[in-house]
Amino acid sequence: MSTQRTKQLVLSAAALMLAASTACSAPGSTSEDQQDAGGPFKIAVVNAQSGQLSSLGQWEWKGAKLAADQWNAKGGINGRKIELELFDDQGDPTVGTNVARKIASEGFVAMIGTAESAVTVAMIPILQQSKIPNITSGQSPAIAATKSPFAFYNGPTSNTYDETLAKYLVDDKGLKKIALISNNGSYGKGERDAFTKALASRGVTPVDDQVVTTDQKDFSAALTSIRQKEPDVLFVGSEEVEAGLIVKQAKELGINATIAGAAPMGTPVYLQTAGEANAEGTVVSSPYLSNDTDDASKAFAKAYQKAHGEAAELHGAKAHDGANIIFTALKNSKGATGQKLADAIRATKYAGLLGDFTFDESGVGIHATSIGVISSGKLTESAK
Amino acid sequence: MRYRIGAFAVLGIAAWFLPYGLGPYGIHVVDIAVVFALLAVGLGLAMGVGGQINLAQVAFFGVSSYAVAILTTRAGFGFWTSAVLALVAAALVGVFVGIPALRMQSHYLGIVTLGLALAFTNWVTNSTITGGADGISGIPIPPLFGIDLSSEYLYYYVELIVFGLALGFAGFVAHTGLGRRMRAMRDDSLAAGAVGAPVPVLRMTAFVLASLYGGVAGVLYAGLVRYVAPETFSIANMFLLLAMVIIGGRQSILGCVVGAVALSLLREVLIDFSVYAQLGFGVVVVLMVVLAPTGLAGIPARITRVVRRRRTAEHHATLRPFAPASAPTDGGTGAGLAISGISKQFRGLKALQDVSMSVAPGEIRGVVGPNGSGKTTLFNIVSGIYTVSAGSASVDGTVVTGRRPHQLSRLGLARTFQNLRLFGQMTVLDNVLVALDRSSMWAAWRYPLWPFGILRAERDLRVRAGRLLDQFGLTDFADAAPKSLPYGIQRRLEIARAMATGPRLLLLDEPAAGLNGEEVGQLSEIVRSIRDSGVTVVLIEHNMGLVMSLCDRVTVLASGGVIADGTPAEVAVLPKVIEAYLGDSMNTNDIAAEVSP
Amino acid sequence: MEVFFQTLVGGLGFGAVYALVAMGFSLVYRTMGLVNFAHGQVVMIGAYAASTFYMSAHVPFFVSIPVAMLVTGLIGLVIERVLRPLENKDFDLMLIGTIGFGMVLESLATITWGATGHAVPSPVDTAPLDLFGIRLRTYSLVVLGIAALATVALVLFLQRTKRGAAMQAVAMDHEAATAVGIHVGRSNAIAFAIGAGLAALAGALVAPMLYVNPTLGGSLGIKGFAAAILGGFGNIPGAIVGGIAIGLLDSYAAGRFQAYSELVVFLVFTVIIMIRPTGLFGERTVNRA
Repeated sequence: MSTQRTKQLVLSAAALMLAASTACSAPGSTSEDQQDAGGPFKIAVVNAQSGQLSSLGQWEWKGAKLAADQWNAKGGINGRKIELELFDDQGDPTVGTNVARKIASEGFVAMIGTAESAVTVAMIPILQQSKIPNITSGQSPAIAATKSPFAFYNGPTSNTYDETLAKYLVDDKGLKKIALISNNGSYGKGERDAFTKALASRGVTPVDDQVVTTDQKDFSAALTSIRQKEPDVLFVGSEEVEAGLIVKQAKELGINATIAGAAPMGTPVYLQTAGEANAEGTVVSSPYLSNDTDDASKAFAKAYQKAHGEAAELHGAKAHDGANIIFTALKNSKGATGQKLADAIRATKYAGLLGDFTFDESGVGIHATSIGVISSGKLTESAK
Repeated sequence: MRYRIGAFAVLGIAAWFLPYGLGPYGIHVVDIAVVFALLAVGLGLAMGVGGQINLAQVAFFGVSSYAVAILTTRAGFGFWTSAVLALVAAALVGVFVGIPALRMQSHYLGIVTLGLALAFTNWVTNSTITGGADGISGIPIPPLFGIDLSSEYLYYYVELIVFGLALGFAGFVAHTGLGRRMRAMRDDSLAAGAVGAPVPVLRMTAFVLASLYGGVAGVLYAGLVRYVAPETFSIANMFLLLAMVIIGGRQSILGCVVGAVALSLLREVLIDFSVYAQLGFGVVVVLMVVLAPTGLAGIPARITRVVRRRRTAEHHATLRPFAPASAPTDGGTGAGLAISGISKQFRGLKALQDVSMSVAPGEIRGVVGPNGSGKTTLFNIVSGIYTVSAGSASVDGTVVTGRRPHQLSRLGLARTFQNLRLFGQMTVLDNVLVALDRSSMWAAWRYPLWPFGILRAERDLRVRAGRLLDQFGLTDFADAAPKSLPYGIQRRLEIARAMATGPRLLLLDEPAAGLNGEEVGQLSEIVRSIRDSGVTVVLIEHNMGLVMSLCDRVTVLASGGVIADGTPAEVAVLPKVIEAYLGDSMNTNDIAAEVSP
Repeated sequence: MEVFFQTLVGGLGFGAVYALVAMGFSLVYRTMGLVNFAHGQVVMIGAYAASTFYMSAHVPFFVSIPVAMLVTGLIGLVIERVLRPLENKDFDLMLIGTIGFGMVLESLATITWGATGHAVPSPVDTAPLDLFGIRLRTYSLVVLGIAALATVALVLFLQRTKRGAAMQAVAMDHEAATAVGIHVGRSNAIAFAIGAGLAALAGALVAPMLYVNPTLGGSLGIKGFAAAILGGFGNIPGAIVGGIAIGLLDSYAAGRFQAYSELVVFLVFTVIIMIRPTGLFGERTVNRA
């Protein structure tokens, strides 16, 4: 056959096939609620396993795993085992959206995570579309602002943390010269906004408001400016490592203000990074101050230590609570998924390590925190 | 060619039916891979074809994506309007990033483009209009005649069509005049300028092309993920893109595509083993660069070369004799060259001191002198590579000092180089085609608007190239790589390439260096024929026999100044010439005998 | 005024670190024609090595530095062997090849020490000096001092010793160097080891100033490379000036433009390089046609 005819044949064959394909339905499975017909409950745990925030991810995984193992040891949920699978979002919101799509396509019924508010916010639209409930340890109010019926917090929001903190500092201790330093990430911004609002409601204006970036390592410029204002309190709105570095450098520059902050300041990573001497006297607003608060936390800490060989802390406890809530909801709803599971979660009343969970419309379960002060490397509840 | 079309057809059909076999996550991965393939093609055009280090490709990607995001969510424009504006924005940024390329190359350009990419990431992470670290979400679904493009399956088809067109255009550019000029610039920018390729414009074109492809990728990405955040446009992804292009084979457009798809899929597969994946990835990259620098695309060529070496015995290509051209078409006798008072100083070294000479139209002039006397410096000044410290040169009355090499090429000046500057990674035929292509860069408008014009011009050029190669006896070597040819053949090719530009003045820098007696005779014949066809020839030579027998007049330079100027017979017996050039202990009788028969 | 001087001091401290990194880059390029993008990761390894010795083995900090330099020097010899085929290749191949190697180093560091990293307490525990209202972290002065010593040592080595002269000869013309009996391979290996040692010194010094984690090398490497280019690539005094310049630029940009400091630094860098494309002290290369 001549080249000309071969070409014609190939082209017409191609045209025919194209026509045929357009006549067929478009590819892709139609989205229907996948009814899982038995077998283990697949729950995804999504967190950063690499990078600076990976310690959070590790703690969360350990806390959730402990909860899952405890339930499985007692026979699982209505006889079905719990299967946790860990996904790395690399702290990157776009990778998070990828993971969300993956979870949606692989039949997971719920998700625990992430600890980074920015990543969680990015994932919410996809999870909402696929009707997968998610309990996050992020605390940014931006999560609630998405108004997704599938998003839940396993702790208080920044508003609660900072309201409690402001009350303690301004109302109880009478400290009015307050400087802020926060990063411009989702969490930092949320903290700054919440704390500034809490101060404003008390008629207090910050003497300085410095913003740094999330991967900054040298804060001399911002801290020098703060030092000049001679504040009584330095509020730090950053994640663990960065907060520790800020405090360390602040002390090196001779800033003697009281350091104050929310959940990240209650972690061992903050303590190590800042150095015990520098972290001394830090005021922390947190719903889970230490493992010795009550019997439940002691038991949890003991089990955690046994299972993972290290001390438990806030994020592990949060994930533990979050996991338990999902398992309880699954049990109460007899293994429902999608909207029904979300409703069941909302209806769950759970006495957790962080307090008593009662979920409201915005997905927040805990509405109060406590104040602790770091002394000799330990976070102890402050005398009111 | 038939196989190629067949292969493309099969791939095209396979690509069309691919979505039917993939789950929802799988098609998402493929969609992202296509976006990266577009980025890789753009990067390949700039780096592989144009030789420009472009570490800002990811910034072009980001500018376009963010432009779409900001214009749709903040300014309320429709998706497709925003897309067009985003492409314009990307192109403008491409021009901006291309400006440093006019001043520097290689690692300097590398760090500048890298720095600009970091600057972009920094701005995007902190500015409020870009949503800072949280990025911008809620980009609207692109509307397309009622088709629901939120379905990643249907989006795939949009991507496929766009990609097909983009790939086709890239291949078209790479294999025709514009791409050829860019490759010449990549191989040797000095020689490229000398054959008329406007290097600054070409460098800018490379960046604009890269930024347009980055722009298209950005638009598709914004419409697919509908969420933009700074991490996607980070340096880590830039290096991943670079790895895709290098591993795939940066000089081949298809290689870039293969590299992009392969690495995208690999990254997905290894996503749960990130640390070990990173380790393995790094090892693979190092091995590829060390063992297979031409990338995956270069492997078939290497295999065929090994296979062919085992099969065939001798290369049967031979150098045919030079066929003198017919009478000059315009009846001209070449251009006259007037050099007056040229001095050139290099920071403390006076290379040339008040040199003046004038070459009549149609003359064959020899320029001789001891090493270091400034001969090549003089050539470099006349051909626009150096600027003068004082004095001027003019060709047929038009001043040439202070002009760029490619402008001089247009005025009818051509040259060869002392150390042979052929375009090493192009074939012999391509070397000649570049020089034959006399079209101005303005004619590049035909690329997007009238490609048939380009194809017609190509056919034309190839016919003329065949004739030129035939004339110089190089037909058998048309597809060879210049570096694989014997030295004498390379020299002849350089002359052929210079003549392809249709000059009126030809400068030959030591054309006989390294040639044996027979080849020198052939060279003499070629130069005479060139002069007879209406070209003035000036040659620098050390081979005194050739100079004396070939040249009408000889100028002798020593220590940067002219010490003699006259016919060979006159000059050879001057005592100061003998002393400067030959040393006073030399026996000059042989030279005198050779010159005066 | 106080802020101006405070920023100056801070900038000099980091500038000294960038200068050390830049010197390593320039030394390796000048002797081997290799642009080593894995240099930043070598700095990171040095930081980890020094801080690990310092913190777990309780070796005094100023003893852990030479130990770390030795370790990295040895690693440098290995790296040189592996990267030798890349020398004098074109820039993109060198770039991606050394970046690949950097990825290997980074992942090895993550596997060995974990992804989170650790903070290093300042080895100089005295209170900051107060000079006319400017707080001088004592440690910054120590860094400046050590960096200066290292620079003097390097310059003396290159100009006064036989090995150093041999290295200069190889840089100028490695064929001629072989002709006069210099073992080029060994000379290159030593140059690389010194470069790696400088990287380790930079890493060890910077560890208490910043935070040691596997990504430490990225930003330091890029800024160090920019510093080397700013001063004139291959030029040792240029590297020092370039390093200090980048450090000061960085510090002032952070003070004025806060979060946008990187944007400003790289825009200014681009403008400077556009004006002097071969760097402040670089030599113009002549096109030999």
